[in-house]
Amino acid sequence: MVETTRRLLHRIRQLFRRSATEVAMDAEMRHHIECETAAGIAAGLSPGEARRVALRDFGGVERFKEQARDERGFRPLEDLAGDIRYAARGLRNNPGYALAAVLTFALGIGLATAIYSVVHGVLLQPLPYARADRLVALWERNVAGGAERNVVSVPNFEAWRDRTRSFAGMAALVPQPVTLDGPDPERVMGALVSPGYFGLLGVPPEAGRDFAAGDIPRDAVILSDGLWRRRFSADHQIIGSSVRLDGKPFTVVGVMPAGFDPPRFGWLPDQELWFPFVATPANREWGRFLLVVGRLRDGVSVPMARMDLGAVADQLGHENPSDSGWSTALVPLAEQITGDVKTPLLIMLGAVALLFLMAAINVGALTLGWVRRRERELAVRRAIGASAGRIFRQVLTHSLVLGVIGSAVGVVAALAGTRVLTVLMPPDVPRTGDIRIDGAVLLFATVAAVAATAAFGGFAAFRSARLQGTVAAPTQGRVTRRLGGGSLVIAEAGLGVVLTILAGVMVRSFANLRAVNLGFEPGGVVAARISLPGVSYGTLEADRQFFDALTDRLRSAPGVRAASAATTLPLWCCAPATDAWDAATPPSGGAAPPTVDVRYVDSSYFVALRIPIDRGRGFAGREPTGGLPHLLINQHLARALWGDADPVGRRLHVDLGDWQTQRPMADAEVSGVVGDVRLADPRTPPRGTVYLSTARFPSSVRDIIVRGDGRSDALVGALRAAVRSLDPALPLSMVTSVPDAVDRSLARDRFTTLILSVFAVVALLLAAVGMYGVFAAEVGARRKEIGVRLALGARGAGVIRLVVRRAALLAGVGVTLGVGAALLLTRSMASLLFGVGASDPVSVAGAALLLLSVALAATAIPAVRAARTSPLEAIHSD
Amino acid sequence: MTRYAPKSDLEVLQGTLDLLVLKALGAGPLHGWAISRRIRDLSSDVLSVNQGSLYPALYRLEERGWIVGQDAQSPEGRRIRVYRSTAAGRRQVVREVETWDLYAAAMRRVILAT
Repeated sequence: MVETTRRLLHRIRQLFRRSATEVAMDAEMRHHIECETAAGIAAGLSPGEARRVALRDFGGVERFKEQARDERGFRPLEDLAGDIRYAARGLRNNPGYALAAVLTFALGIGLATAIYSVVHGVLLQPLPYARADRLVALWERNVAGGAERNVVSVPNFEAWRDRTRSFAGMAALVPQPVTLDGPDPERVMGALVSPGYFGLLGVPPEAGRDFAAGDIPRDAVILSDGLWRRRFSADHQIIGSSVRLDGKPFTVVGVMPAGFDPPRFGWLPDQELWFPFVATPANREWGRFLLVVGRLRDGVSVPMARMDLGAVADQLGHENPSDSGWSTALVPLAEQITGDVKTPLLIMLGAVALLFLMAAINVGALTLGWVRRRERELAVRRAIGASAGRIFRQVLTHSLVLGVIGSAVGVVAALAGTRVLTVLMPPDVPRTGDIRIDGAVLLFATVAAVAATAAFGGFAAFRSARLQGTVAAPTQGRVTRRLGGGSLVIAEAGLGVVLTILAGVMVRSFANLRAVNLGFEPGGVVAARISLPGVSYGTLEADRQFFDALTDRLRSAPGVRAASAATTLPLWCCAPATDAWDAATPPSGGAAPPTVDVRYVDSSYFVALRIPIDRGRGFAGREPTGGLPHLLINQHLARALWGDADPVGRRLHVDLGDWQTQRPMADAEVSGVVGDVRLADPRTPPRGTVYLSTARFPSSVRDIIVRGDGRSDALVGALRAAVRSLDPALPLSMVTSVPDAVDRSLARDRFTTLILSVFAVVALLLAAVGMYGVFAAEVGARRKEIGVRLALGARGAGVIRLVVRRAALLAGVGVTLGVGAALLLTRSMASLLFGVGASDPVSVAGAALLLLSVALAATAIPAVRAARTSPLEAIHSD
Repeated sequence: MTRYAPKSDLEVLQGTLDLLVLKALGAGPLHGWAISRRIRDLSSDVLSVNQGSLYPALYRLEERGWIVGQDAQSPEGRRIRVYRSTAAGRRQVVREVETWDLYAAAMRRVILAT
């Protein structure tokens, strides 16, 4: 025990006194040789002879020193320390190489880490609820009706909740916007939620309590932490007190913790307050409108729960004619919330992985270049007894030092990069608040860095360890060829072409999206929603009068060209839709009638959005309240129902209630045809749309659409002023500049396009630098051979051809392989593309040409340099 | 030409060098070259210590605590290391000698067997 400790201490002392003992060892061995020489002289040899014999007998000093060091233990550690010093010295002496390698590596690590932090935050990290993997979203499903995930009716929700056995709990949710009354009225988004909802999520209120079975909507409200601080000055006495919403009193029963992020999916946006949802005889008749979240019971798998739920849906289909044809869909909540950003994020992750690979290959190429310059030194060290393993470790350590420095710089860059990404990210990407560089992301960066370092360092180290002392000096050229420059060029060209093709198809798809004719002119339009509170208006006539007065007042405001009170904000997701058919030919048999979008508009609507009226007329003033309602249809529906015939005057059946008579609407008469618009989303092609008059169908909720000359905020100001002059207590909600909304609707595509384009540019840069490095090294190594060729009469042009031919061949192989790989990869992004195929020939050909040009450009300087080689100098150089 | 070299270049047997070094230091401290010289003298120029294995052996023995190296100065003013055996080293000599006697006797019996 004591002995072991003593030995250990001895070793540690030795380790720290390394350089001192090294000097002592040197002196000791030199002394030995001197003594031996002296003995030789004493025995009668000449001093020179004696020294020679002494040296010969002693053998390789270096090797004995190595062995002697070996005996001293801690050998690997000592070597490591030495190798690190050696690497640091090497890097200091080659600042250009060191900088290029570190920056390239940092670029790769930085980009990969930043993208991974996004993927980790949005896709991989569990949702911020207790055992979030057990939470699922439940939907009704009607395959024939094209509804894969449909909202749920109250009776079906109750049946699911009561008859299934796979769920520990189930809750229904409905969005519920309300007005916060007070001197500064504000419209905020809330939701009705089933009692026990927060318990189901596993996030109880910070103060107060969850909703209980006895709560009714008027009773109780739970506030978000943000709302509590913003509107109620973080009042700790608020639990149990009364607040006024929509002109009515509510009792605050709870405040949620800070940072509670409610699930947002379907038509459920961010929420700031919650009310209890209670099933009533009335809302049981409302049809399908609930979002449903469930928690799986322990030990129940998703397929088991699906079967359980499906069986209940089958029963309901038999019990209830309106449920026949409806089944169910069960989706893990995380997938539900992040599902539609999964593909673009995974594509970015894949792309950044390729980019990272390119960066690692480039560093590998740079390190090989460094090895080539060190060939002679390494060969000499081999010759005087350094083992192959020793050289291997040394070059690997060198790469390790590069990798550590590069990773450190890269992670710092990723910190900034992640922030930039979250700023650039489209506003509707879920969970951007969860994006940060944390332990898991750093672990990823470390693993990536270690893997890359091991790969490129191992490659270089392996190559250099195989260098044989004797061959090194005279055959540098051959050695370099063996160093694998060709395969590096192929890899660079291949990866470069893949990344360029990914960016190419995305850019073309985005250009197509930008070029889509929306059918209306968004420029100069603002929109906002107004909900008139029932307490102060109350009748449809009062609502109508308010909106008429508002639009009149707006039209006379300076800078306003047109003002309309209608439904459906442009580029807002959700609009009513129903079935419609030619009243002369009602659908028979199983043929499903076409689904049409329903919009309620006034006569100014088409002026405000500049939608052309092709035939007939718009709505002129107030329509008679009796008689057949008039409607306008879009070209799409006109063509679908009547081909080229004039639809004006024909009758259409629209499956809607007449709001005034409270009875199903009678047929309506087509009074005109208007242009098709892509109102909700530039991607979705227009479908049949009917426009009904707001005069005939009044409502307390209207979207005000204003076209004007000024800037958006000036128009919004005019809108606010007009509303305030009529009713100062009335808030605006969903205030939108329509051009901004168009931009936002393209935000995801813009983001993906931007990121992939940046990757492509970086990839081309890396490819250019990497290929240049390889060709420059090769030409350098073949200098003598080229000199001989020139001396034997080769022409400069011939030498250039020699170099360029090899470049074109290698790049061509790489590009071909890359195109093949890209065609496989782009298939996975087909769902992101608009108006362009996944194997878009323009992108493929463009990328291939681009990469070949880059390859040729990268050879230009080395080739010209080769052609200018002076034969005499080349041959005389070693 | 008179050679100062040993009569025979018999290599030191594997595993016996430690004993030879410890034994050579039995009479007092010596530096590296003197140790090899003393082994040669004691063996009447029969055993030649491979210089390459001498120094590793010295470091190994030092590591094990059987000998101690101390920095000193040669008459020419060069820094050298002088080694002396420790108490543990002297105990080790006794053990190794016993082992060697057994081994040598056994070898002899094998060789003489017909």
